[in-house]
Amino acid sequence: MRKRRGTGIREQGVRIGCWAALVVAAVMGGSAGAQQIQLGQMQTGLGATPHKEHVELLSDAVQVMAGSPQVVELRFRVDDGYHINSHTPKDELLLPTVLKLDGASGATVLGETYQKGVPFELHVAGSGDAKGELMDVYEGEFRVMVRLTVPKGASTMSGALHYQACVNDACFPPKTLPVMVAVRGE
Amino acid sequence: MARRLLILALFVVGVGLIAFAGVHNLRSRKAAMQKAQESEVVLTKADAPADAGADPEAQPMLGKIAPQFTLVDVSGKKVSLSQFKGHPIVMNFWATYCGPCRLEMPWFQQLEGKYQAQGLVVLGLDQDEGMATREIADAAKKVGVSYPILLPDDKVASSYQLGDYLPETIYIDKNGKVVDQTVGAHSKDELEADIQKAIGAGAA
Repeated sequence: MRKRRGTGIREQGVRIGCWAALVVAAVMGGSAGAQQIQLGQMQTGLGATPHKEHVELLSDAVQVMAGSPQVVELRFRVDDGYHINSHTPKDELLLPTVLKLDGASGATVLGETYQKGVPFELHVAGSGDAKGELMDVYEGEFRVMVRLTVPKGASTMSGALHYQACVNDACFPPKTLPVMVAVRGE
Repeated sequence: MARRLLILALFVVGVGLIAFAGVHNLRSRKAAMQKAQESEVVLTKADAPADAGADPEAQPMLGKIAPQFTLVDVSGKKVSLSQFKGHPIVMNFWATYCGPCRLEMPWFQQLEGKYQAQGLVVLGLDQDEGMATREIADAAKKVGVSYPILLPDDKVASSYQLGDYLPETIYIDKNGKVVDQTVGAHSKDELEADIQKAIGAGAA
């Protein structure tokens, strides 16, 4: 019986220790998760701080099969309330969005395919039926598919997104967003 | 007894660990919040053309005498502000890539005709960078305006304290004083009201 009791104490002690460890882990783990969510929302959430550039790169790391042509998707986000011309604006005077990437560390960029834009009609408040031209723009999130071959291991694609942003009644000068994507070939 | 002591000891250790975790967590949160606050940028309205360091509502030129300049138009002719002394003037800063600019430019053209008898002068100041004169002239023609289109000059944009957005329009009365400064495209009625302000303000 004593042995059993003794074993019982050890078991109880271990049980208490486990509970304590679990509580500590839950407190620390749970709070760490909450911090990540909070910071994530501050940095990239909808309605977050508009960037001076008005566009941000959402995909900064991709994993692809090495040695053969692969397609990776690069996601960008235009600040709420802003739009940029698509890759194929309807007017020759409008500046298209263009992604230019350079291969590095053995990676070779074979080409890019752009997401279709959405129709956008200019309209000035208080001007009745008078409307401007129908444009083709990116709003919110948009994607560019990049076809590339990469060697095994880590490499980096770098380049720039060229675009020109507007709100409904005003435009900003053309801008260039530096783009850097970590690529892992496996 | 020994069993109770052991349980008590384990309980104390457990509570101690929880307290330690709590303090550690609090410190981490404070550090994270401090870091987040350091990287925080001032929030601006999403529907307003607002860039850091530039308030689109500001009218820094209002009430001031319009700075003088001499620029070259798309035909190669020199154009000075001083040659329009005694006239109400509209200075419209625009660019070929700017859809809202091209939306309101034909209205300026129409209003220039309407207020010709009052001596209204409209000047279009192009703000494109690295664009050939021919392309700017073609764009203006395509938009349908025939008033003078002046080629870019950073000094003029700087002297009129322009923001990082287009269109921007300066209304000058007959005495050379800026009576209004607007950002963004406006309705034809609003443009006309500002023009009337420029005509009326210098009439006395």
